[in-house]
Amino acid sequence: MSKRLLALILLIALATIAPLVFTIIVKMDVPRALKSLGLYYVKNTINDTASPETVTAIVWDYRGLDTIYETLVLYLAIVGGLAVFRVKEVALKTKIGLTSFARSSTRIISLLIATISLAIALHGHLTPGGGFPGGSALAVASMIVIPVYSANALIARGITSTRLVAIRGFALTGIGLVAFLPTIRGLEIVTNQAFYPATVLGQLISGSISLYNLFEFLAVMSGFTAVALYLSIPEEVFKVAEGA
Amino acid sequence: MLEQYTYALIISVLTINAVVAIYGIVYRRSLTKKLIALTILGDTVFVAIIFSGFYFTHPIVPPVYPEPSDVHVDVLAKHASDPLPQALVLTGIVIGLAVNALIAFGIIQLYRLKGTTDAKKLVETLVEAGVAE
Amino acid sequence: MILTLVLLIAASLLSLAFVYLAITERDLLKAAAFSAGQSVMYAIMLQTMGAADIVMTYVAVSVGLYSALLVFIISKTERCEG
Repeated sequence: MSKRLLALILLIALATIAPLVFTIIVKMDVPRALKSLGLYYVKNTINDTASPETVTAIVWDYRGLDTIYETLVLYLAIVGGLAVFRVKEVALKTKIGLTSFARSSTRIISLLIATISLAIALHGHLTPGGGFPGGSALAVASMIVIPVYSANALIARGITSTRLVAIRGFALTGIGLVAFLPTIRGLEIVTNQAFYPATVLGQLISGSISLYNLFEFLAVMSGFTAVALYLSIPEEVFKVAEGA
Repeated sequence: MLEQYTYALIISVLTINAVVAIYGIVYRRSLTKKLIALTILGDTVFVAIIFSGFYFTHPIVPPVYPEPSDVHVDVLAKHASDPLPQALVLTGIVIGLAVNALIAFGIIQLYRLKGTTDAKKLVETLVEAGVAE
Repeated sequence: MILTLVLLIAASLLSLAFVYLAITERDLLKAAAFSAGQSVMYAIMLQTMGAADIVMTYVAVSVGLYSALLVFIISKTERCEG
């Protein structure tokens, strides 16, 4: 125990003293201005993409094809993980959750997390956020619900992993459709302002960016909840399945 | 003076974090510990990428327009953080999560088949089977 | 300006401590807790550098999903290393 602490103190001392020596010996200059490529993006986003949020505009408009490939990679990883487990739809026998204190506080917290995650996902073109943080936050809420209420509570209410994978497929089809629809008029795929409207009924929706955020939110949420459901199947089920 | 010291300190801390994480991947025996060290290494690289878009102005703000007008373009051009590394790191976080989740499934399945998550014992079972040396 | 620099220095030194403690710990649940602490320190550093979009994604993924994933793995495999 004391050897570890000694090594830790040595590392912190090294991390504190080496920059001091470096600063005194070498006179270097720190950056004080934005780089020119970042300056181009900051200046021209509101004209090109009708979205006041620069990072979301780069992710879904300037480099939209990269993000579609990234969604595909996430989808394939979850498919591979679910294929490793390879168990059919199982009726879980355990209904044991935690105490009523934990249940009532989890009810309040998961409702708050669901509201906030929907707000993060749908406001992605106006404030920092987007589809992916919203989906991850809702997946964290489902990972809280499963140990407290027992996974059977979700399955008994109809949130089975088959349905979640179906929702994920629907959301990915939505992303593909929104990407490919501009080819009807002869434009390239993943086109934003040349095809989609910037405002609808007076509200700024920035063309395809809000649609992408909504579908990405559905895809990420359903994918990670399916992973959590598969992970919470107890080990005895797999031992029985292999022994039989 | 303090600014130069902070700049050098962040670079040195990120380097030491990366070196300790690589030591953890190579020299620790448990597969779960290797996964923890891999996530730490990935996070350190992401912070280093965003640190490349950081510069020393008085309030550094995220690159968001409160309302589209010319005044805000001038203000943001002097105080906003660089948006391009942030977009690339967003993609990187998602792909890192996908790969780490796949590794997690692999670790659980390996424990079911072999009964251990110790890397040295797994290599010994492979040597006994005549596959590796 | 001074607050920004002091926050960056403090958060980075604490993250170094958490990383070292996480890698050299034999009990894997404690190592997962130290890894979550390191993620919080990195989130403080990222917010001070002005990356508000990344902070949301990073906190949800690293403090939420990675910690839950590690607890699932540890409960299905071994808890102590070595």
